[in-house]
Formats: sequence, C-alpha cells, structure tokens
Amino acid sequence: MLNIKHYSKTYPGGHKAVDDLSLHVLPGEIYGFIGHNGAGKTTTLRAVAGVLDFTQGHIRIAGHDIQAEPVAAKKVTAFLPDNPDLYEFMKGIDFLNFIADLYDIPADQRTRDIGAYADAFELTGNLGSPIGSYSHGMRQKLALISAFIRRPKLLVLDEPFVGLDPAAAYVLKELLAQLCQAGGAVFFSTHVLEVAEKLCHKIAIIKRGRLVKCGPTQQVVGDSDLESVFLELEGERA
Amino acid sequence: MKKFLALLKVSAKAMLLTSSGVGAGKRRRAVSGVGAVVLIAFLGLYLSGMYSFLLVSALAPVGMESLVLVFMGLVALFGGLMFTVFAVREVLFGGKDNDLMLSLPVPASFLVASRMGAIYLESLVFSFFVLLPAGAACFFLSGGRYGWDLWLRLLLAALALPALDTALSVLLGAGLAFLSSKVSKGKALGQNLAMALFLLVVFWLSFNLNSTIENLAAHAAGIKASMTWAAPLLWMADGVLGSWGMLLAFIACCAVPFALVVLVVGKAYRKAVTAFQTRAARSDYKLSAQSAAGQTKALLRKEAKRFFGTPVYFWNAGLGLIFLLILGVAAVAKRGELQAMLPLLGGQWAGAALAGAAMGFCLSMAVVCAPSVSLEGRCLWILRTAPVGEGTLLGVKVGFQLLLTLPCALVATACLSWALALPLWQGGLLLLAMAAFCVASACFGMMMGLTFPKLDAANEALVIKQSMAVTLAMFVPLGALVLAGLAYWLGGLASPEMALVLPAALLVVLAALCWLWLARRGKVLLRRL
Repeated sequence: MLNIKHYSKTYPGGHKAVDDLSLHVLPGEIYGFIGHNGAGKTTTLRAVAGVLDFTQGHIRIAGHDIQAEPVAAKKVTAFLPDNPDLYEFMKGIDFLNFIADLYDIPADQRTRDIGAYADAFELTGNLGSPIGSYSHGMRQKLALISAFIRRPKLLVLDEPFVGLDPAAAYVLKELLAQLCQAGGAVFFSTHVLEVAEKLCHKIAIIKRGRLVKCGPTQQVVGDSDLESVFLELEGERA
Repeated sequence: MKKFLALLKVSAKAMLLTSSGVGAGKRRRAVSGVGAVVLIAFLGLYLSGMYSFLLVSALAPVGMESLVLVFMGLVALFGGLMFTVFAVREVLFGGKDNDLMLSLPVPASFLVASRMGAIYLESLVFSFFVLLPAGAACFFLSGGRYGWDLWLRLLLAALALPALDTALSVLLGAGLAFLSSKVSKGKALGQNLAMALFLLVVFWLSFNLNSTIENLAAHAAGIKASMTWAAPLLWMADGVLGSWGMLLAFIACCAVPFALVVLVVGKAYRKAVTAFQTRAARSDYKLSAQSAAGQTKALLRKEAKRFFGTPVYFWNAGLGLIFLLILGVAAVAKRGELQAMLPLLGGQWAGAALAGAAMGFCLSMAVVCAPSVSLEGRCLWILRTAPVGEGTLLGVKVGFQLLLTLPCALVATACLSWALALPLWQGGLLLLAMAAFCVASACFGMMMGLTFPKLDAANEALVIKQSMAVTLAMFVPLGALVLAGLAYWLGGLASPEMALVLPAALLVVLAALCWLWLARRGKVLLRRL
C-alpha cells in the first residue's frame, strides 16, 4: 500500500531531517512510527501526504508515485497533521461536505458516512456550529471524521491521539482496526508507546532521521516492552 | 518598560515580517515588510506632494498657508482612519496569540499599548509622508518667512498626530465591532452593515471637505475661522509655523486621548477579548440528506464564504468594485452633464480613455487573489493533501476574483458607454481593455500572493491590509494604467483610433504575459509553500 524507498529530505540550510529511509506498509497493516522530538517523523509523514517536496528517494501509494502522480496518490490517501487547523469560517457540516466534494464522494454515501462517524465520535449535534466555536478535541474529532468519510486506502496520521478524550480514543482505535480489516492501511506517528505496542502490527523507530529498527511489533519488542526498547535504542546511539 | 518594548517588538514584527516557511530567506522577509511600508509612504507622499505645493503657492500670498497644514492633517487623519479602523478588531482583540499574551505576567494595559503601538506605527508612516510635503511647501514657498526650526516642529507634529489617529481608530473600531456583535450575534452581515454605515459617514465628510477645498482661495480666512471643529489641527498648523505653545497644546491633545484609550481599553481588555471571541458550539444539529458538488464548485464556494464572511477582506477588496458600480450608476444619472462636459475634456475619444482610467483605478483596488494564499495560513495542508491539481487550485482563486470583477466591469462599461454615447466599437474596445485589465490584475495578484506569502500572520487584517503581496497587487496595476495612458498619448500622435486601440492592445498583451507567468511559475511557487 505504501512503499517508501531511500527517502531523504534535506532542508534549506543543509539540515538533513531524514536520511535514506525505506519502509513498506502492506494492506491490512497498522504501522506505528515512533521517535524522539525532531527525529524526522513529521517530515516523513508530510512527504507521504504530498505536502512536502523532496529530491531523493521514491514514495508510492497504491502504486502511484506521490511526486509523479500526486492527484491519483492523494485520491486514495487521508492525512491528518498533528493539531490540524481547519477553516474556522465554516460550519462543521460545511467542512465535511467540502472535503467530500474534493474527493467526489456521492451524496448518499457521504450522508451515510457522516452520520455514522459523527455519531461514533458524538459530534453530530455540533455539526451545525462554526468550527471557530469548537474546542480542540472537537476539531480533532471533526478532522478524523473528514478522514474516515473518504474511505481511504491509506490513512496517514500524525499524533492522532493527542487531544482526544478516552472515549474518542477508544472509538478511533476501533475504527482504525475496521479500516485495516477492510483492506486499508494505517501509518501513524505517536509518542504513546503503550498504544503503539497494543495497536500496531508493525513498528518503525527513527532516530535523527535514520531508521534504527523496524518490523513486526512482537519482533521489535521481543521479551521486553516497547518503552524499554525505545529507551535502550535512544541510549545506545546517543 | 522592558516588558512593553518586548511586546511592541512582537506586534511590530507580526505586522512587518512575512514568514513563508521553506524557501524564504531572511533578506526577502525583511524586504517584504519594508516594501509595504515604502509603498504606503509613497502613497502619502504622492497625495500630499501633488496638492501641497499648488495650494501653498495659492495661499501664501494672502498669508494663509497654514490652511494647507490643516488640510493635510485632515488627509492624514482620515487616511489613517481608513487604513486602520477596519483592522482594529483583528489587531487589538482578535490576535491568535491572545491566550499566550493574556497568560503572561504583564498588565493588560501594556498589551493594549503595544498593539495600539503597532497601529500607531502604521499611521505614523502615512501621516509623516503626508505632512512632510506640506511642511516643505510652507518652508520653500513662503519667501523665507520660516526658519529651520520649522522642521523640528513639523517632526514633533508628525509624531503626535498618529497618536490621535490611533486613539480615534481604536474607539471607532471597537465601537463598530461591539455594534456588529449586537446587530446579528457577531455574524459577518452585522459587521458589514456597521462598516457600510461608517463608510457613508466618511463619504459624507469627504464630500464636504472637497467643497471646502474648492472654495479655498476665495474664502481662505473665512474657512479658517469656520474650522473650529478641527481646532487641534489649527493648533498643529500654527504650532508648526512658529507657535511652540500651540504645538504643545496639539501634542497634549494627541497624547492624552491615546493614554486614556490605553487605560480604558486596558481595564476592560480581558472582558472585551472574551466577548469578541467566545462562541459556544450549539448541540442541536440534526443531520439530513447532503448534496454533492464538484471540486471546482466546492473550492469556489469556499473562497466566496471566506470573502463575504470576513468583513475586513470584503471591505478591503470589495470597496473598489462598489466604487466601480457607483461610477457606472452615477454616469447614467449624470448623462446630460457628462455629455456637456465631453468637449471640454477633449471629445468622445478622451472621454472613453478617461472612463477606462477611472474604471481601471477602481478595479486595481479589488485585490482578492493576492491575500488568498496567505489567508489559507495553517489550513493550507487541507488543499495540499487534497486530490486536486495545483493548476486547479490557482485557477479557482484567479477565477473567483474574475467572477467578482468581470461582471462589475461589464456593468460599469455598459453604463459609461451609454452615458458618454460611445459608438459600439469604442464601447467594445473599452470592454476588451477592462476585461484584459481584470485578467492581468488577477493573475498578477495571484503571483504576488505566491511570491510574498504570510502564512503565519497573527490575524487576517495583517494579511489583507498590510502584506507586501496586497500592496504590490494594488499599485503595480496602477502602474500599468500609467503605461496605458502613455500608449494613449503615443497612439494619439498617429490617429484618434490608435489612441484607443494602442492602450487596449497593451492591456491585452499584459494580461497574456501575466497569465503565462502564472501558468509557468505558479505551480512551482505553490509547491514550495
């Protein structure tokens, strides 16, 4: 579903944020991406989403190169940045319809999906209000609903659990599992290692732009736990 | 004092600097802010420079040159108000950094003073460059009546006047924001109505000022005597021309209201910020069947919602179009008088050219595209991750400006052509020229928006009113109009027909060039944001 090959990103000024990263996310997989602050997680996710330009390596989503065929690749992807900013002048329902229009989602399908996901996140009653009046958590939920109604093949999430209440976090985990059961794939970054360990089929650990460990969660964790592995790797290569 | 200066620095930086993320070097960021200031200064210098020397040469012989300082003071005051009053709500109360600022261990009055300081600095640039030519005209054209100390007094007056301007602007702006929030529960319609009312008052005052200036030479002494309502400006004029006492009275008259407004607004600041920002989300929405639209329609609808739902955007970019429509309607209403004036203007040819120039002037104020990229701000990720081609995204933004400008240009051209009784071919040529001007302005504005983005502005007013992109998108098309005027003159040397054909052809070529520039570079610049 997602194939990253030898991806590197150097920012103007010479700072190499990501160095020769290769990853493969298969359909039906939830792939966790962890690392310390500034390790290169967001830089990678933004490149996968087609937001960030890069000159080295290739990123393909469902067979489409994100740089050569950006529209086709984005059509099957939903990306949410950490702390997603939304149009405050729109009402919640207007924003969902705006996204649905951009993804050519038919009217009956969007009505059904908006209803289902908004009910799941308990946001239906608030959809008629301007986004400017939403709390941080409500915005996060709206952004997640806008991602799920696209029925993406690949869901790319940057710190999706930040700002969610426990009930919404539970719903999100359920929906991610459902998406994967339906053949989709999830690639997300998180600092909540317990969630990553329980939820992810595979995990990649990135440090200072380089991939230091990746593979099936059980293989990465071994007899220990993810927190210990992560801290050990941090210490080893510091 | 240290805390106040630190806050002032933040406010001024937010106003001046752009930040476009990747690819914007330090030098370009500084140039962006300074460039906008230079262009505001140029506008002040141009307006005042043109009239001050003419008026002083007419008034100095009767010893009434002080009136020029009074009038230019009024221009600076009203100009400053027009520049800043619509932005008060955003700059003073609507900053995105309010939560951070209000949580700092700093008195609210410091914060108010620093934000008013940013408004003061903007007014200062304009008023300084309006008063400077007026003072220079008095100094050079009054036969050596005034010494070099005039310059010092002029400087003090120029520093004081924006303080009064800022105090008035904050009071008016806060009042408008308060009224609009009462009119329709804070909706854009309420704000738009309140601002329309304010503009009517400004126009009424402007028209009265105009008639006063017309009678200036004949009744200078009487006019000065009747201007007791502008007493502070009379003190300023007398102060600059010699009376230190009057100058001190004027400075006090500017500084005291500024300080009072800082204290009063500072006391109620937290309450005001909360009142303007708090909007509770309702929880009674019932989902019904939704309808689908295409990508282009959805993107256009989004642009329209932002334009009509953001009063500072609507009034800044839409004012030129309102003027354009008023121009057309006024021409129809005054058809007889216009036709009688045509021989004085130089005949029908000149009438058509003047109509084109007037319409072009109004259209150049309709800067919709230029701020639209920066207005996406931190929401740009939504468009960047959407399965929409970059060409479509830019095309929609340009198309939205054209949807607003072309119909207005068509109506105004039809009205003016009828009022001036232009032959069909001249009317058609005028329409072609205006359509080309619309296309050129829109494409150029889009390029400016992409070249000088301000994605992390503290509020929308900074993007809409003070960004380099908007300033250039407004003034460069005016330069194109000057070029068209030159083409008119050159064409006139060959034949009257060429006088109209040449500027129209020039505008068509400029439109094609701007369109090509956008088509070739626009996508690359969008990708770099």
